Amino acid sequence: MNSTYTAVAVIFCIGLYCVIAKRNLLKIIIGLDIMEGAVLLLLVASGYREGGVPPILPASGPMVNPIPQAFTLTAIVVGASFTALALSFVIMLHRHYGSVDIDKIRGLRG
Amino acid sequence: MGPAEHYLANAPLETGTTNVVAAILYDYRGFDTLGESTIIFTAVTGVALLFSGFRLGTSAHGLSVLVKRGVGTLAPFMIVFGAYVVLFGHISPGGGFQGGVVFATVAILLCIVYGAGFDASRVSVKTKTVVEAIGALSFVGIGVAGLLAGGAFLTNLAAGFSAGTPGTLVSGGFVPLLNAAVGMKVGAGLAMVFFSMVREVVREITGETAEEVES
Repeated sequence: MNSTYTAVAVIFCIGLYCVIAKRNLLKIIIGLDIMEGAVLLLLVASGYREGGVPPILPASGPMVNPIPQAFTLTAIVVGASFTALALSFVIMLHRHYGSVDIDKIRGLRG
Repeated sequence: MGPAEHYLANAPLETGTTNVVAAILYDYRGFDTLGESTIIFTAVTGVALLFSGFRLGTSAHGLSVLVKRGVGTLAPFMIVFGAYVVLFGHISPGGGFQGGVVFATVAILLCIVYGAGFDASRVSVKTKTVVEAIGALSFVGIGVAGLLAGGAFLTNLAAGFSAGTPGTLVSGGFVPLLNAAVGMKVGAGLAMVFFSMVREVVREITGETAEEVES
């Protein structure tokens, strides 16, 4: 279990590094998605129990907690919607400024 | 007894659904799922609005003939698989969201492999809009049926939906119907997001040459 939480922390930090250190907007969005993946992993892992089987009846043995899985589905959809909208803004910014570098996207234009 | 134990023990009795995740998603927390599909709807609307001044390019010719034949052979099976994931979502892993993404993948693959105009010429963007709207409206309509039956919004078995035999295709009250509604919505919505993004510039964003936008 601890290895899962360590993996979550490492993946989240990779995403955070991407968001903080990169200047390319696409890479920032990729970083946000990596962070989202870490959170989803945390959600699913929190519902795991030793030797659990998928929560589909009839089950042979103890089942894992289905509630975090349902929440994870919701979170995936929210994340996908966010990514779609963010990528659209990046496309529009690229058409306006000719660049996806956040240092070059400055000032109000057009 | 926490909610998880209750759901695991009573989901087949209370919802007729053997996939407990689907029971939570569409029955116990059905209202949540309505909000979730509203988020997709808002995202699709936003993307379509951002790219409303552009039209779909027709210049692309797609990939080589080998790829075209390969994808053309695979596409029907992928559609059948998506329908399976949607329709069996209440008794096996899957559901409307997952199956809808498979549908959208087919549309995106056809667009990439056969050129930008191919898929839109077969299933126009207007048709996709209608399919998405039908999905959203039927979700709300199924919820209102619970109100009309005297229960709360999105009441399942208590509103008269048949539980059937848990574990068979026709079971689970309205859960398969909601799965189908969400599948239509997600499939058409994500395909629309993609087709909005691949549109070309036909006029300057600030220009006033109002060339007819594709419908």
